[in-house]
Amino acid sequence: MGIQINALKCTNCMACEMVCSYHRDDGFAFLSACIVAYRAKEKKDYFGVLLKEEDVLVVARPDGTEINKLGEEADPDREADASAKPMLLREGCDLCEDMDDYGPMCVAFCPVDAITLD
Amino acid sequence: MEYLSTDKILVIDLGAALVEEEEMDEALVEQKIGGIGITKYLYEKYMDDDPIVIGTGLLSGTTYPASASAQITAKSPVTGKVCHCPVIYKLGVEIKYCGFDYIVVKGRSDTPVYLWIHDGVADISDASDVWGKNVWESTDAIRKFVGDDLLQTMMIGPAGEKGSDYAQVCYNHWSSPDRFGFGKLFGARNLKGFAFRGMGMLEIAEPEEFVEQSLELLKTVKENSFLENKGLAPVLDALGEEGAKEWMDPVTHRHSADYFTPYATNTAFFLDEDPGLLKESKKEEPGVLISDIHALIAFKKLGLSASDTGQALKACAKYGIDPFAVATLGKKTGLEEITGSFDAITGTIPIPGKGLFSPWCPAGPVFNDFNLSGDDEISAWWERRQAVAMIFGIQPVFALMCPELTEESMLAFANIGTGLELTQKILDAVIDDICG
Repeated sequence: MGIQINALKCTNCMACEMVCSYHRDDGFAFLSACIVAYRAKEKKDYFGVLLKEEDVLVVARPDGTEINKLGEEADPDREADASAKPMLLREGCDLCEDMDDYGPMCVAFCPVDAITLD
Repeated sequence: MEYLSTDKILVIDLGAALVEEEEMDEALVEQKIGGIGITKYLYEKYMDDDPIVIGTGLLSGTTYPASASAQITAKSPVTGKVCHCPVIYKLGVEIKYCGFDYIVVKGRSDTPVYLWIHDGVADISDASDVWGKNVWESTDAIRKFVGDDLLQTMMIGPAGEKGSDYAQVCYNHWSSPDRFGFGKLFGARNLKGFAFRGMGMLEIAEPEEFVEQSLELLKTVKENSFLENKGLAPVLDALGEEGAKEWMDPVTHRHSADYFTPYATNTAFFLDEDPGLLKESKKEEPGVLISDIHALIAFKKLGLSASDTGQALKACAKYGIDPFAVATLGKKTGLEEITGSFDAITGTIPIPGKGLFSPWCPAGPVFNDFNLSGDDEISAWWERRQAVAMIFGIQPVFALMCPELTEESMLAFANIGTGLELTQKILDAVIDDICG
């Protein structure tokens, strides 16, 4: 069972990021989220979602999803992603195992159903 | 103020180069709730200095659907009235988490400055390197200097520096709802703009109940059939602008939403790039992000193609001038003529109601009819709806779409979030105070 992200449906609203961080902090913040809206390439209108799982970093872009094993060298053909670095310091996704009433918060709160549980 | 608040108000005196903090008094929230209820109060408190006041709504940056907005309150150099301009995209939520609920700017700096506000710290920074640069260059330069691509800005361009009546305060690289010439106010004070970055955290009085109720509300909101659509073409269509989709399709790239907003109210045009491109463009500036419904319609009515409209909107955003004013007052029909007309834009654009709220927002309900009928009823509803959206921090276009976001629910969430006992009577009094 895992999180699936459809970056083409995503509207970059950051709801996933907020509720994930709430799950960690019991307050409203963005600091602790293991899923974030990727929005650093604003002028190019290029956005998607980054998800840190226990051993991998999932990069869901409109042109496809890439799964990078943590600790391995990134694709040298791609520009370094400033958003990815702080992600590596965060806890991996636990599918909100303590949120019995919701399941994964990012799935429950995505306004456009771009994030699902497979 | 313990909950849904940073507990701080920032007061910046540009003339004296002084930055001071005030405590956010809970009694003020009990009396004025938040958003423009409090920015108007602060404007009046510092009225002798004719301040620019920036603030967030009481629910901004929470899990309440569409809690995306902040506000600028100032006296418009165009209308002479104290007006309220929504802050959209991701900027409103960045302000909420930067460490201050409200920011009051008074005085005039002797030299160009920008205000760098981050994590409870405010710096008056030298803007001599970006003064004279356009909005895009300025945002890029400050992001590069700080080393953070996610830093959010409010910037003026040449229009604001030259004192154009329709100089706009732009957000990041994009046009904004500013139809009040607030860019001229910034320029007159040697204020190039603001840079915001916030990593703060907001405490909630009853967090579990707030989040649980947010999800229930979101589920109800998602039952609206209009959410099957995205972007500006369906909005233009709903406003009676025929053929909008066919007109926009050749350059439409993707649609994006403001923070936590279920409808994507922004559409990106690709102008120098294949609009169907899914990979990251190798071009640095392939297009423009558009939120201005009426500017689109105005350029379309002038007979421009969507591609030329996009180029005109991009040029307006760089120059920092209101594109709707350019289209309706300039009345130029060629792209070169349009971009050459910026310094000559003068005249008056109609502002509905009492002239307090930006006509950037459609002047009535969108997609749903809210059981309204007749121009008078719609006009009164629109003004009240704008006031409510900007008290609580709700994306103001989505507020016109979504009947489930009621005043009752906003009050209920505000009370769950803060532990206060805000009532409809208090809200009515705040709206009366704002709208007169």
